[in-house]
Amino acid sequence: MSKIKEVLFKPLFDNNPIALQILGICSALAVTTKLESVVVMAMAVTLVTAFSNFFVSLLRNHIPSSIRIIVQMIVIASLVIVTDQLLKAFVYDVAKSMSVYVGLIITNCIVMGRAEGYAMKNGPVLSFLDGIGNGLGYSLVLIFVGIFRELIGSGKLFGISILPLTSEGGWYQANGMALLSPSAFFLIGFFIWGIRTWKKDQVEKGN
Amino acid sequence: MKFLRNILDAQHHHFAKGGKLEKLYPIYEMVDTFIYTPSDVTKGSVHVRDGLDLKRLMVTVAMALVPCILMACFNTGYQANKALAAMGATSVEGWRGAVMAMLGLALDPTNLVSNFVHGFLYFFPVFLVTNLAGGFWEVIFSTVRGHEINEGFLVTGLLFPLTLPPSIPLWQVAIGISFGVVIGKEIFGGTGKNFLNPALTARAFLFFAYPAQISGDAVWTAVDGFTGATALGQAALGGVQAISVSWWDSFIGLIPGSMGETSALACLLGAALLIYTGIGSWRIMLSMTVSLIVFSKLLNIIGSTTNPMFAMGPEWHLVIGGFAFGTVFMATDPVSASMTQLGHWFYGALIGFMVVLVRVINPAFPEGTMLAILFGNVFAPLIDYFVVNANIKRRAKRAQA
Amino acid sequence: MGNDSTTKTLIVATLLCVVCSVLVSGAAVSLKPAQDLNKVLDIKKNLLLASGLATDVSKMTAKEVEEKFQVVETKVVDLSTGEYVDMDPESYDAVKAAKTPGQNYKIDSKKDIAHIKTRAKLSKVYLVKENNEVSMIVLPVNGKGLWSTLYGFLALAPDTTTVKGLGFYQHGETPGLGGEIDNPNWKKLWIGKTALDAAFEPVIKVIKGSVNPASANANSEIDGLSGATLTSNGVTGLVHYWLGNDAFGPFLAKFRATTSNGEGVQDEQN
Repeated sequence: MSKIKEVLFKPLFDNNPIALQILGICSALAVTTKLESVVVMAMAVTLVTAFSNFFVSLLRNHIPSSIRIIVQMIVIASLVIVTDQLLKAFVYDVAKSMSVYVGLIITNCIVMGRAEGYAMKNGPVLSFLDGIGNGLGYSLVLIFVGIFRELIGSGKLFGISILPLTSEGGWYQANGMALLSPSAFFLIGFFIWGIRTWKKDQVEKGN
Repeated sequence: MKFLRNILDAQHHHFAKGGKLEKLYPIYEMVDTFIYTPSDVTKGSVHVRDGLDLKRLMVTVAMALVPCILMACFNTGYQANKALAAMGATSVEGWRGAVMAMLGLALDPTNLVSNFVHGFLYFFPVFLVTNLAGGFWEVIFSTVRGHEINEGFLVTGLLFPLTLPPSIPLWQVAIGISFGVVIGKEIFGGTGKNFLNPALTARAFLFFAYPAQISGDAVWTAVDGFTGATALGQAALGGVQAISVSWWDSFIGLIPGSMGETSALACLLGAALLIYTGIGSWRIMLSMTVSLIVFSKLLNIIGSTTNPMFAMGPEWHLVIGGFAFGTVFMATDPVSASMTQLGHWFYGALIGFMVVLVRVINPAFPEGTMLAILFGNVFAPLIDYFVVNANIKRRAKRAQA
Repeated sequence: MGNDSTTKTLIVATLLCVVCSVLVSGAAVSLKPAQDLNKVLDIKKNLLLASGLATDVSKMTAKEVEEKFQVVETKVVDLSTGEYVDMDPESYDAVKAAKTPGQNYKIDSKKDIAHIKTRAKLSKVYLVKENNEVSMIVLPVNGKGLWSTLYGFLALAPDTTTVKGLGFYQHGETPGLGGEIDNPNWKKLWIGKTALDAAFEPVIKVIKGSVNPASANANSEIDGLSGATLTSNGVTGLVHYWLGNDAFGPFLAKFRATTSNGEGVQDEQN
């Protein structure tokens, strides 16, 4: 039981894929202007990571080591394409606003990293949970960034107006910086700052 | 003065180690060393070449900025008075008008004092907010970290207001300088450890966050509803022919623009002081200027049928926009600039090149000085790395021989 | 059999590829109809938004969109002649055709005020009908802003000169500056303005600053977007291009020449 707990929750703060491992930054910059896309993206990555871990773990005893990486890539790529097709069929608006970034989940280091680093050595159930856990860690940072970017950049959350904009007669002047990708770097930086102030052991030693 | 000293000394034990206000020592220290020379003395062997400390360095820069500040006040008021007079107004509205009426000053663009006071009433609130907001963060970080609060912010707090348009909303000033101080400086460890110029970081933040209040046509003159593009803005659309001000006005600084950046003349005076005292690097200023002249001349020769900016000569590039101000006060910031003397040349040349590149080639940003200097700041450590390595190699070779 | 033997490697690779390709192609084929429907729906939503037939399209279901769209008749027009072409408008994609050699038309660089280099030879037009009479013509337009190509719809009254609405559904302009072309307050300024002069030449213009109501051309001028001169110029350019003789000009001329319902424009095939 404790093992399951560890696999699921450790990636949230103790071993967060974005904040500690600094993986998967590119999509964190690209899709976080709207919380709606964030949630869809987070779900997509979580599911892809979980299922690719699951399948890779199932196959792990039969994968020839010479084509190991290619096998993992094929599993991941297939899952991502199916996810992409599903999104385009059922949530077209969101899929459109995320454009190529759904397809780019294939290149998201978290997915590949967990398949190679965890699923190749552990059973399918634990691997699946590890995928969920890492997906949640990724989602946590994305949602944090998304909340700030949408609220500061367009005064909204999930498209619902929270701070009425000056351009629409309200008082809040939208901060254009939050809609540009660099703002996500700053926010991720703040997130890492926060985590490392809380968990001091994550601070790298100076050299 | 003895009296002040006594007060400070009487309070000292509260703030010293073990005192009840130990945590607030940096604040005590700030007040003390601002008024008096620090009592610390160097321990161990010393190699004093010059008594230059941070305080003297910063105060010299502040003095070099005085012509720019005076010009900022005068020109802001002059532009506003001129625009108001042209629109047929007879008095200044709002609280500024009340203050001016109290001083018995009429709205008159030919009256030096009226211009100056009117401009000062725009400059001062921005300056005050900058220092309150920036100082707030400075004190918080120093107190938490137990650092001394030093004069580093003094210069940032002077530079930042000078780079802003007079009509900038004060809340934006506060947000901008907070970003500049926290992200541009404090998270890297505070004064002396920042790799970006905090004042420019703050301005760049505002530029991207609230572009409507810091770019375009309507913000450069402190009069509601008055639109007047900067000389660079005009040139970006129609080339040199479209610039409505004379070269001499641009040189002296009697044109609309960011408050302290219009006057190349005031910047030259500042440059003279900085170079004379050895605080600003003449290498950076020279290489930036030469690089700008060479590259803009090159673009003149290449020419373009669609982009009128190609035809703008270096003599204009030098006097309009923020180039002069950036060269003298921003690029030479000793912390964020290149550290090695050879590096200064490359660093300056890179910035001069980028200024022309952004001004001429980029369709969206008429002015490129701010971005070019930040770009140079980012590259400065790399430049130094190569310079230092080349030096090590050269010496190793010599040692072998 | 060892995991690393050549035979096993080949078997694993083959099996995996077969399974994965079945999975992927299965998903692609079975979901295709739903995706195509979404694409069509998306364009329809954009059109409804730009023409002012609907305001909050993001929450509308497919059925509601179709209902609203009943009043809209989609036709394909040959831009060089202005004649209708007899083909199924549902299957025609003008944005794609603009990039396909053979289906596109290279715009003379002197006439290319929208800076798009090529356009499709055929374009869709949407006729909004009320009581069997055309109440609005909606034209798909595109053109270069500052950073990106703007795609949108321009709605005209049946007199072809009065603007009924303008909206863009895709662009990448700076938020807060050029991005303000999405601002509902700015879009409202277009409604009721005169796009063409007495000789049916495009005159409508996004100016710098605010329109002076006393100016003689006030009815053909739109307030500029502050700080976004190049985007504003881009909008003027694309509206001029698409309403001009190189694009929809011939079609609009034919439309005016016929009866009010537009049916009189000859189908090419007839």
